[in-house]
Amino acid sequence: MGIDFIDVAQAIIDGLLFGSTYALIGLGFTLIFGAMHKLNMAYAASAIAGAYVGLAAIALSGLPPVLAFFLGPVASGVIGLAVYITCFRYMPASNMLAPLMASIGALFFIDEIIIHATAGSPLAFPAVMDDVYFELGEYGFRGDLIFVLVTSLVAMLVLLYVLFGTRLGLATRAVSQQVVAAELCGIASHRTNATTFVLTGVLGGLAGCMAAAAVGVISPLLTVPITVKGLIVTVIGGLGSIPGAIIAGFAVGGFENLFLLVFGVNQRDIYVFLLLFVFLVFRPNGLLGKAIKRD
Amino acid sequence: MLNLKHVLKPAVWAAALSAMISPALAEETILIAGWGAKSGPLRSFGVNSEAVLKAAVKEVNDSGGIMLADGTKANLEYIYFDSACNAEQAISVARKVASETRALIGIGPTCSGAAAAMFGVFQKTVGDDNDTGLQFPILTDTAVRNGLAKISQWTFRNTPNEPDMYDKLFAWVAKTYPDLKTIYGGTETDQGHSNGTYSRVIVQASKRYGFDWATGDIEGVTGDLGSGYTEVLANSSNWLMADTNFSVQARAFKKSEADIYIISSHPFTTCGMLKELKRRRAEPKLLIGLTSSSSAEVMKGCAEAAEGMVIPTSFAPITPAAEKVAMLANENGGDADLHSAAAWENVMIIKQVIESAGVENKPETLMADRRKIRDGLETLERTEGLIGQVQRVQDEGEALKPYVFVQAMGGKWSVIHDPRSIQ
Amino acid sequence: MAFYFGLLQTIGIHTLLGLSAYVLLLTGQLSLAQVGFFAIGAYVSGILTVIFEYHIVPGLFAGALAGGAFAFLVGFPALRVKGLMLVVATIAFSEIVRLFFFNLNWRVMVNGVEVGPDSTQGFREIRFYAANGWDTFDVVLFIWLFVIVVMAMLWWLDRVRAGATLRAVGADELAAQSSGVNIVAVKVTAMTVGGVIAGLAGGLYAHSATYVDHLTFSVLLATFAVAYPILGGLSSVFGTLIAVIFVQGILIEGMRFLGDWRNILFGLLIIVAMNFRPSGLLDGNVLSRIRRMIGHGKPDGGGRHA
Repeated sequence: MGIDFIDVAQAIIDGLLFGSTYALIGLGFTLIFGAMHKLNMAYAASAIAGAYVGLAAIALSGLPPVLAFFLGPVASGVIGLAVYITCFRYMPASNMLAPLMASIGALFFIDEIIIHATAGSPLAFPAVMDDVYFELGEYGFRGDLIFVLVTSLVAMLVLLYVLFGTRLGLATRAVSQQVVAAELCGIASHRTNATTFVLTGVLGGLAGCMAAAAVGVISPLLTVPITVKGLIVTVIGGLGSIPGAIIAGFAVGGFENLFLLVFGVNQRDIYVFLLLFVFLVFRPNGLLGKAIKRD
Repeated sequence: MLNLKHVLKPAVWAAALSAMISPALAEETILIAGWGAKSGPLRSFGVNSEAVLKAAVKEVNDSGGIMLADGTKANLEYIYFDSACNAEQAISVARKVASETRALIGIGPTCSGAAAAMFGVFQKTVGDDNDTGLQFPILTDTAVRNGLAKISQWTFRNTPNEPDMYDKLFAWVAKTYPDLKTIYGGTETDQGHSNGTYSRVIVQASKRYGFDWATGDIEGVTGDLGSGYTEVLANSSNWLMADTNFSVQARAFKKSEADIYIISSHPFTTCGMLKELKRRRAEPKLLIGLTSSSSAEVMKGCAEAAEGMVIPTSFAPITPAAEKVAMLANENGGDADLHSAAAWENVMIIKQVIESAGVENKPETLMADRRKIRDGLETLERTEGLIGQVQRVQDEGEALKPYVFVQAMGGKWSVIHDPRSIQ
Repeated sequence: MAFYFGLLQTIGIHTLLGLSAYVLLLTGQLSLAQVGFFAIGAYVSGILTVIFEYHIVPGLFAGALAGGAFAFLVGFPALRVKGLMLVVATIAFSEIVRLFFFNLNWRVMVNGVEVGPDSTQGFREIRFYAANGWDTFDVVLFIWLFVIVVMAMLWWLDRVRAGATLRAVGADELAAQSSGVNIVAVKVTAMTVGGVIAGLAGGLYAHSATYVDHLTFSVLLATFAVAYPILGGLSSVFGTLIAVIFVQGILIEGMRFLGDWRNILFGLLIIVAMNFRPSGLLDGNVLSRIRRMIGHGKPDGGGRHA
């Protein structure tokens, strides 16, 4: 079966739309890394866990399914805070490895809790505008993915406002630039870091809900691939760069689908990783990252 | 952490010790061991398998236990371990059960990859003194991947025989839907079972009954099992087990304009793919799935999108015995499906073999008893299954189980055809 | 006893895997590429003993060399990045290796049976040990011979100037460079040594498990490889060993009596361990206390942390 131009265009459109979830996850990694210079491996797991909590809440209470997209992110924010307290708050500031390892422990812990609650069985996840399919000439746009895209864009705008338009954002950026100087200016770094975790948790929860809604099914199988994709997006976008992560999220989504179409599923991910290497070699600071200075 | 370790260590030793002592106190029971995934994303395998195993053990004991060589009756007892779909853990549990317990036989593991590794540490040929592999009989219930039991003469399986299932399925489809001509499909390529069954069994079976590949003939594919399997994969639209985006694949399915779609994957991606096909308004005249998807998981995940899908399965509650097992499994917190229901049959097979092989169940006869059970399993020609008689493929240690075709209808799997009814 | 011997095999293999990441961590490099070298070692040695019917010893050496060769090649580009970039780059390397073996189909008739890697169906029946009459105890001795040699070499390395150089690069790259340390040589050497050890561990794994497929070499196993030295502490090679015993011996095998709680406690205990011992189970303080206890009371650099 030959590949027509329309196949290519459609694959890229679908990939870009789906890429908005990658962008959200990448944003979370980049924010935490930007704030603390530490890696939170439990991030994608708490995102998925939040989506599960949202799903459970609407199933148990009989609330309208749309509320899952609100309750899920809230739950993820709470889980994010718990991860901060258990894995980051009490670790020595100079030790990079201990919180990394603890957050890996949290990843295992969160995953197993989900698995025990559901026996690992996939569950149906509500989608918004699931049965809408816009057709523009030969091209088609999935209604639910447009909803995902719009929600993600709104979330990103809110995030940019919080970071650049509020005192909280000012404090976060101050701590990420120079912890000691920020504390000397009267900013409580622990509280700012905790807020960053809650904020990124909410963002992740939204991404988790969006990913689950886009598939229509949620499963603990989602955590590892989302973690890996999120990390790739963070690196391609440039560490700590918010617009970079957003652009990279869409780009990875689009390229991934293009590679799938052209090379088949068995080689798709090889090319995604090669794309990453291209960036590491030619633009080691990512799309929009600042040059890394000495730590 | 130091404190924790101090606390933990004596506890571990105490538990290990008591685990070794307690069987000795209850010497009169017959011990069997089960293991499978009770952690990780495939936990439902272990939960379901243990639930059915538990019910079967109770059934045996309620009906008086098992007759030993000396004419006395003994109760059956089981232990269950988590091997997490992990090769090292499955091997470790096999060694533990064989060397540290008086279990006479094992039922497990539930995952094909773990089974492929675990069977390798067993003695390949019985009586080969140069082969130091484990000498302990295994009768597996869940791991379906084709051709595993022949890795060792100590390992047996009571799992569906997919080449036979799909052969009969396409024979039936050709007869029932004479106007369906073309076929297209895809599989989860990173899973040995889905991939192997799709590219080496299903597509060849469709060829055998005259179906045409919708995008043009696939080179090398004849009716023979495994023929042209790399080309099959190259001419299909596939995905991976943890994939989340199926848009490219769904488009390819739709573009193929095939009458029949084959979706060969486990429940998570089966649901993802089915939902995407539905969104894309890709409407085949018939959907065919992988045996493993004929489970409760698909119904939990995407009952609506799966509507109409046809799957051959070795378990369905069509007989009183099967209905009873389905009910008992639910009472024990699991589901009886094509994988787990085999655990019931296995316990009954074990009872039959123990009674006919003259097992003594004494500490000093442990090794001899295990050997007798193995020999007994090998000589079985047929066994009683929940939905009918099961033929044993003796030289391979495999089973030819009866099966029916089920179809997703209104959130449930309904039996639409029993191939034994036409001759 | 077969069970305990089996467990000792697992502990030995994972200790080697952990030590391969330990060497790199000393230089401050957090590498998730170890599982890639491990996979290369597993497939190379498995192919040699199964398809070419080699003895296991040359098979293992070839696997270790292949692991080292790839690590050497990876070492240079890896120099360009550090921190999170290195983590992601090494994940990418491991995944590419895994996907290569995912696509590798090399079936050969040997003595009338078709053997070899069969892409997703896996590489079955790597049965050198059992087929040649080695019992589980022989295998334990064989594996631990390598573990002891590797541990002794790394322990000795820590006593001499080379070890100090490694740790100096890990502690402060720029300061080390200013003191005349050749960063490129040190990092690439550490990567290569780590690759050799991981390749060796992979070969041993393939023969102990008798089966490998691409799913074995997941990001999860890569995480375990770095988890051992971090959990155990970087002050001594024994930290990694203790962490492997803690994870494989206690968390995975020893807690089986807890049933379903075992899986939940697994992650929780790692979190607890890192909170109470952020520098590892066997950190500098414990180490110097042990030294004092066994009579080596000299106050040396026991408090070193990486």
